[in-house]
Amino acid sequence: MNGSQRHVALAVFPLLLLPTSLLAMAWPAEATGTGLVFVSNEKSNEVVVYDQSFNRVKAISTSRRPRDMHFNAAHTLLYVACSDDDAIDVIDVGKLAVVKSIQTGPSPEMFVPTSDGTAFYVSDEENSRVEKIDIASEADVQNVATGPEPEGVILSPDGKTLYATSESADLVHVIDTASGKVIKNVPVGTRPRRFVMTPDGKELWVSCELSSEVDVIERATNTVTDQLTFVPPGFREEQVTPVGMTITRDGSKVLLTLGRANHIAIVDAKSKQVLAYVLVGSRAWGVDLSHDEKTAVVTNGLSDDITIVDMASMKPVKSVPAGRTPHSVVIDD
Amino acid sequence: MTRRFAVAVALLMLGVGGASAADIRIGYLSLRDDPRDRADVAYTNIQIAPPDDPLTGAQLGLLDAKVVADAVGDSFALDPQQAVDAADAVAKAKAMAAGGERFVVLDLPDELVDQLATAVKDEKLTLINATAHADFLRDRCDANLLHTAASDRMEADALVQFLRLHNWTKVLVLEGPLPRDKVIAAAFKAAADRMKLSITDTRTVTLSRTPDAQENNDTLLVTGGVDYDVVFVADSEGEYGRYLPYATQLPRPVIGTAGLVPQEWHWSWDRDGATQVTSRFLKLTDHRREMTAADWSTWIAVRAVFNAYARAPGAPDPDKVDAYLRSDKLRLDGSKGFALNFRPWDGQLRQPVLLATENAVIAVPPLPGFEHATNDLDTLGEDEPEHKCL
Repeated sequence: MNGSQRHVALAVFPLLLLPTSLLAMAWPAEATGTGLVFVSNEKSNEVVVYDQSFNRVKAISTSRRPRDMHFNAAHTLLYVACSDDDAIDVIDVGKLAVVKSIQTGPSPEMFVPTSDGTAFYVSDEENSRVEKIDIASEADVQNVATGPEPEGVILSPDGKTLYATSESADLVHVIDTASGKVIKNVPVGTRPRRFVMTPDGKELWVSCELSSEVDVIERATNTVTDQLTFVPPGFREEQVTPVGMTITRDGSKVLLTLGRANHIAIVDAKSKQVLAYVLVGSRAWGVDLSHDEKTAVVTNGLSDDITIVDMASMKPVKSVPAGRTPHSVVIDD
Repeated sequence: MTRRFAVAVALLMLGVGGASAADIRIGYLSLRDDPRDRADVAYTNIQIAPPDDPLTGAQLGLLDAKVVADAVGDSFALDPQQAVDAADAVAKAKAMAAGGERFVVLDLPDELVDQLATAVKDEKLTLINATAHADFLRDRCDANLLHTAASDRMEADALVQFLRLHNWTKVLVLEGPLPRDKVIAAAFKAAADRMKLSITDTRTVTLSRTPDAQENNDTLLVTGGVDYDVVFVADSEGEYGRYLPYATQLPRPVIGTAGLVPQEWHWSWDRDGATQVTSRFLKLTDHRREMTAADWSTWIAVRAVFNAYARAPGAPDPDKVDAYLRSDKLRLDGSKGFALNFRPWDGQLRQPVLLATENAVIAVPPLPGFEHATNDLDTLGEDEPEHKCL
């Protein structure tokens, strides 16, 4: 199945017939950043950088096993969690080079910067904790014990509450950042992975990889109010392993990668109905939207490529080679 | 789109400061001087089988459960007991039941599992067989028996899928002299037959190097005079098999109990969170040894039980927990990329089977192209329509 699905039939999509200069022009005029697309590659220890036409600009060598990535507020720096070297590398977006490496606990995977940009919360899947690292001093300033294999982390807009999944305990920990204490454990589906929060702050969506569902947590009560399943035509529920998510700025649509089902789902966030299933590469994992939200980029962990999705038509445009085992994607625009 | 909403409500009991606390003990029964522990079979003290006890896997399962238990206010404990013989195993299992233990993980040889399941059938016990692979145990239909060990047939089916995918259709089968070797070889041959592979010959091998046994000992003679794409070896002791790869007459790969080996787990598996599991295991053993397939099977058995305690509506009532454990509501994460649960017809845990060399996992059946009407995991092992209770 993988072979035939891996690379979308290029000629089908009219966007591709445009010259690359036109394709670039289709990108946002209001873009503030460089427009560069950054893809972390777990097994080739590099962040591959593409321009807006998805031409490869550079492969930045990083510490080993680069995974989650976040920009600083000014988008001048890109932080990359490098699990096998227990570090968060700092990439200078102007120079496209690693300028510094901040030591963390063992095996950092997912992390979230604080809104003031002074610290990160990093999930440490080896030691079953979330640690807060002060960026300036590079010091570990807080430790929160979690269930085994903590993964996704997200902060509330006011920074007072941190949420972390424990993949192995099937819990979402609700953590008070002031005290560093778990104030509630919310049982969710099997192997909870990642979060998105609706812009109004009311809902927290959690992807549960092995129970093939997304659980919606109502933040006011910290209870699961919806369990959503997404099964593309021709697939069975157990073949669907949801992981990566992103949400549009207006909160109207959630994009969800379906892992081994080789699709993403584009979901109406209000009605919770699927708008489209989009065929991408093998084991779709990470996803991000361009600033104008006209384009989504999906990393395909087992076909070592990324798929570009046109959001207007909700169709795949093309797939482009990445490094080995692409994990996350972020777009600087 | 919204489903099982009632379940979500039931799950809320897990909240901090929630439901009533309970002390839950899970039994664990093994055999002193288990004949399968052949760590010293090789001469000069070279260890060819894992020297340690899969109890460590169960202990890891318990550690993993701790955070959930803390959240509920429950306490989970393991009650490991070692029996000296079958009668003692029965006595110990009955004592466990009398002491309020409902679930007992078994690390016992095939025959003992069989005897025990029969002897305690009237007790309120659910036995989880973690290390006995024989297919006949799955066909007994003991109502009190579940299996986390992969059956011989599952492992054979996994290898056969791999051979089919590679179009390696001609197989030379070598079997050792032990009854267990014959059982493994028979399971493979039946699986090969279902997938229309051709067995070009079946030969018995021996460790004896006396001249009159050389046709069954010398690897060139044993593998000579016949054509094949691959050699399957069934040598449960492992002492013959470890000298077989690279020593065959034709330059062909070796599979089975040596070479490419089907098993529940391998330390080199690096996807689906496996690295974290093996690294927690290493830490637990102070880096003395890697996690084996048997450790995975005891680990997942304990995980299954605590998962059912955490999620079953009506928990900690053991009957409710037991019903949940056996239901398709169980979606267990075994770090093998699939949600796992027990087959209702024979109590076998559905699971992928790793095909591993010494230091790499080459494939993880079910493989692409081997599809099943309801669950691809059921392409491995005896499927419902063909299942018959013996």
